[in-house]
Amino acid sequence: MIRGVALIYGIYLLLPIALLLVGSTGSSWTNSLLPDGITGQWYVDLWLDPSFRKAFVSSLIVAGGACVINTVLALPLACALHHHAGRSGSLAAKAVSSLPIAVPTITLGFGYIIVFNSDYLPWLGTLPLLIAAHAVNTLPYLTNALVTDLRHLRLDELERAAATLGASAWQQFWGIVLPNLRQSLISGLVMVAAISVGEFSLSNLLTSFQNRTYPVVLLQAFYGSTGFACAATVILLLLAGTAAFLSSVSLRKS
Amino acid sequence: MSLILDQVSYVYPGTTHGLTDVSLSIEPGELVAVIGQSGSGKSTLLKLVSGLSTGHTGSILLNNEDLATKPVHLRNIGVVFQSYALFPHLNVLENIAYGLKLRGVPADERRRRAHELLEVIDMTPFADRAVTQLSGGQQQRVALARALVINPAALLLDEPLAALDASIRGHLRDQIRQLQRRFNATTLLVTHDQEEALVMADRVAVLKEGRLLQLATPKILYEQPASRAVASFVGLSTILPAKVLATNRIDLGFATLAANTGSRSAGSAVFALIRPEHVQADPAEDTPNRLTGSLGTERYLGSFYRYDFNALGADTPILAESRTVAQNAIAIAPEHIRLLDH
Repeated sequence: MIRGVALIYGIYLLLPIALLLVGSTGSSWTNSLLPDGITGQWYVDLWLDPSFRKAFVSSLIVAGGACVINTVLALPLACALHHHAGRSGSLAAKAVSSLPIAVPTITLGFGYIIVFNSDYLPWLGTLPLLIAAHAVNTLPYLTNALVTDLRHLRLDELERAAATLGASAWQQFWGIVLPNLRQSLISGLVMVAAISVGEFSLSNLLTSFQNRTYPVVLLQAFYGSTGFACAATVILLLLAGTAAFLSSVSLRKS
Repeated sequence: MSLILDQVSYVYPGTTHGLTDVSLSIEPGELVAVIGQSGSGKSTLLKLVSGLSTGHTGSILLNNEDLATKPVHLRNIGVVFQSYALFPHLNVLENIAYGLKLRGVPADERRRRAHELLEVIDMTPFADRAVTQLSGGQQQRVALARALVINPAALLLDEPLAALDASIRGHLRDQIRQLQRRFNATTLLVTHDQEEALVMADRVAVLKEGRLLQLATPKILYEQPASRAVASFVGLSTILPAKVLATNRIDLGFATLAANTGSRSAGSAVFALIRPEHVQADPAEDTPNRLTGSLGTERYLGSFYRYDFNALGADTPILAESRTVAQNAIAIAPEHIRLLDH
């Protein structure tokens, strides 16, 4: 019974991906169950299309930027949440960790449009704003990963031990906390990158034509030929899939 | 280096309890154990000395220097924690050398000294092991080496054996004591295990509800406890309420016994302390302080029996230990009945 459900779910999940792969290598696909012929032309076309290459780079920049900002923000945030894990602390931790699920990204996007479309803050459509939005959207995932590890490793005890051996707060952070959080930091960051690369609704609302991210450009492709759109989607899938795989591998190691 | 606590008081934030006027001094190289039940404030005392807790009144002097304003990392006090708290990302040798690294000791020198310590704790083959591969006892030995390698001005042991199996506790207890003597470390040991305290310490401080009840050598603490609270916490005993009848005569309610009443006047209320090993089983009929009755619960402990004896008319049984079990009478020599005023 459970196996049957798992099988159906697997088909439901994998069939579209399989169809994408088939479609991306078929030469023509109109009003038929499967496409005719085999070709690598769509991938070549994709490679030669400057707007896709530009979007690919934009996506990587946005994801990378979000990772950098998240590292700077999440480490101290996680430490603070862990150290002051009293009643108010755990409430704050819960709020932070449930934020991305509770608040739809479209709400965040509209909020940004209202705030940054004004004369005082005319930054709508700029790359830094897009990066900031992605950072806000993914921060809770990284923070969560770090807080879980802090608790699991009982790092506060290690910090106390280090302090008695002569480590200042700074030396405790660099010498003890950071090396022990390395695994969860890396896996958390890869998760951030995967989410950022695949993120559509927020990017669609906030990008200008100049710095469209990959998923935003991808939508345009579906108005053109099917094979091209399939190839473009497979590339996105590969990118996000690789990130997610790396994340799970580094999580398992820690 | 001496460690002196002078009227140290501390209130847990948001409560009214904590430590009240605790004064004790630890001589250079001496091991003082602080014992008490959980909540007695013994761990708080250790945290205040190490600097992991702050905000006490009174003074804590290490080598005549007041520690009040000195942050933890500048105190040079080695701490061994119940949970070992070894750094999982460093191997055994690196763990031991960590304190030296912070002090800017060159790499060669700190390797050499860490190896020296490894040899002292008898773990040389484990130098490159991950600390997570070690047993609890090995981890605690590494933690001890890590605390000693920095030549600490004082050593604090926070329930160092509590997380370990009984089988290795005894061995490690002796090893810790040997190392403490060898390094002549001024040491404060916090434990809830009175046996551990009696065996390891030069002097023992008994703490109850944040107050110091008595500070004395293990022998004096056991044989001449200052109060019922100390007597009942240190070793096994039977404590019976009594009244002084006349000089060297007390009334237990169900019997009168001979005991040294000292300068107490007739009629004063006291408590009679009887240690189980001083109870004589089935004595001759003319033995002083002979009590008749019957045998209660009996427990066989190999080299001796520990049993309850229900003296005729008594509400509480008297605890006894001997090679043979008393069937119908016991006796307690007058010099072994100790009277306590409170």
